[in-house]
Amino acid sequence: MALIHVPKPPKSAYDPNRPMSSLLQSQVDHLQEAESKLPLEYCSKIYSKAIRTEGEAAQYIRDVTEAIHRAHRDAGKARSVRKPSKRKGVIEIAAYADERSRRRQKPAPKRAAKKSPKSTGAKKRKE
Amino acid sequence: MPPGLDKLQHIVVLMMENRSFDHMLGSLKAVNSQIDGLDANSFTNPDSNGNAVKAQPNAQFQAQLQPDPDHHFPAVDLQIFGGDTSAARQPNMQGFVKSYFNQQRDVAHSQMIMYYFPQAKLPVLTTLALEFAVFNRWFASIPGPTICNRAFAHYGTSFGRVDLNPIYPPETIKSVYTRMISANPKRTAKVYYYDTTSSTMEVANLLQNQPELFGTYSQFLDDCKNGDLPDYSFIEPNYNDHQGDSGEEVANDQHPDHNVQAGEVFMASIYQAIKNNPELWESTALLITYDEHGGIFDHVPPPTCPKDIFTADGNATGTGVPFQFDRLGVRVPTILVSPWIPKGATVDRVFDHASIPATVTKFFIGDWSPRSPRETSADIFIEPQGGAVDPARNVLSLGTMRTDCPDFDV
Repeated sequence: MALIHVPKPPKSAYDPNRPMSSLLQSQVDHLQEAESKLPLEYCSKIYSKAIRTEGEAAQYIRDVTEAIHRAHRDAGKARSVRKPSKRKGVIEIAAYADERSRRRQKPAPKRAAKKSPKSTGAKKRKE
Repeated sequence: MPPGLDKLQHIVVLMMENRSFDHMLGSLKAVNSQIDGLDANSFTNPDSNGNAVKAQPNAQFQAQLQPDPDHHFPAVDLQIFGGDTSAARQPNMQGFVKSYFNQQRDVAHSQMIMYYFPQAKLPVLTTLALEFAVFNRWFASIPGPTICNRAFAHYGTSFGRVDLNPIYPPETIKSVYTRMISANPKRTAKVYYYDTTSSTMEVANLLQNQPELFGTYSQFLDDCKNGDLPDYSFIEPNYNDHQGDSGEEVANDQHPDHNVQAGEVFMASIYQAIKNNPELWESTALLITYDEHGGIFDHVPPPTCPKDIFTADGNATGTGVPFQFDRLGVRVPTILVSPWIPKGATVDRVFDHASIPATVTKFFIGDWSPRSPRETSADIFIEPQGGAVDPARNVLSLGTMRTDCPDFDV
């Protein structure tokens, strides 16, 4: 089948000064509601209630959409930083196992007759 | 198992904006009589003087439907029922000109709502319609605006909403994307918006809570090229004119008053992106549809349907009468593209946008609960794999893949 030609729109099709439609208005409103839940450092510097044209809406839509993505990414990074290192845990477990093994092999030392300030008053162990 | 279904691995849905079936595809009845479009000079609507206004092939790409025709619930009610508000009323599709007249009180201008595109002006949509499968009975999910109709495509319901306010779904009914990534075995799904400047119409829930679901149009093109397309993709067009990385980006959603040709270029680029990867082409079904009719005429009365579990009260509808989501919206152009579909296919069963999550869920996951009654009662447009396939229902019916499918110069 022959290649079908698809005409491109004329340059005049582009008009960022076009008044925004009710659909774009609703998208701006939804994003404004989403933006109100973001921490301040993510908020745009655009006053959404002053938006009138498609071009103005476009700028705001981009700012808030990218902010939402950024906020989630930052939260993800913070989450991975807080996680304890698995390697450290393995060393701790290995050290504890060594200590238990060492205690089983060595007889327990005799406890001193005097009560130390930290003594709980527990009965003396019989040797 | 028919080979087209056996090989199917990807479903892609592109949802455009605000054009009716007759407005875009009505001219094609003259080419394929199985397409339920327009007979010459047959369909009319009365204007505000009572004169019959005929549907005519005079639609322009831009600067004609200004102001944007009203497509909110009360206006669509007038368009469908012609102004009849009685309890026993039936849809007569006689209110389009009257509705458009209400916006400017200009008789001559109101008649333009009855204009449709001749075939030659829409080379992409009409070629795809004639080459693949046209759904003669795909309706908007509700007789109202964009946000709620798109919600049906994502969730199978609009949670009782008939307006443009944000929708915060309850935990119970999951989006089709959440179902896919939660399934066992896990499936993949993505929403591709055009870019961050166009963004998505699904802000309140998906963008705020699951931004990782989103990719861009340019990523879609790369994913097609690299064979990385997810199991299910939903594509949103560019909703606004803006400066992009490579210059001026013209809105291509076809929402009035955006240029319709820009939307044709966009549709062709998505089609070619899939077709240019042979492995993808043989294993993908592309559904092109529109969210709602945009206030523009159509001659087919929308049918009733099973009620949803939600109700919109009389204040929410703006008509004073509650709505139980038991009637579909106006018919929209919907085409299914695949090299396994015979040329000139038409489908006459009734569908709406709830059919999208219904189909994707059934095909990739199987059973899923809970879902809305609207979704569980919606028909599916692709038969599931496994088990017997009813040949009368299977649109991907060819035994051998076509090699004569068109190409577009995008």
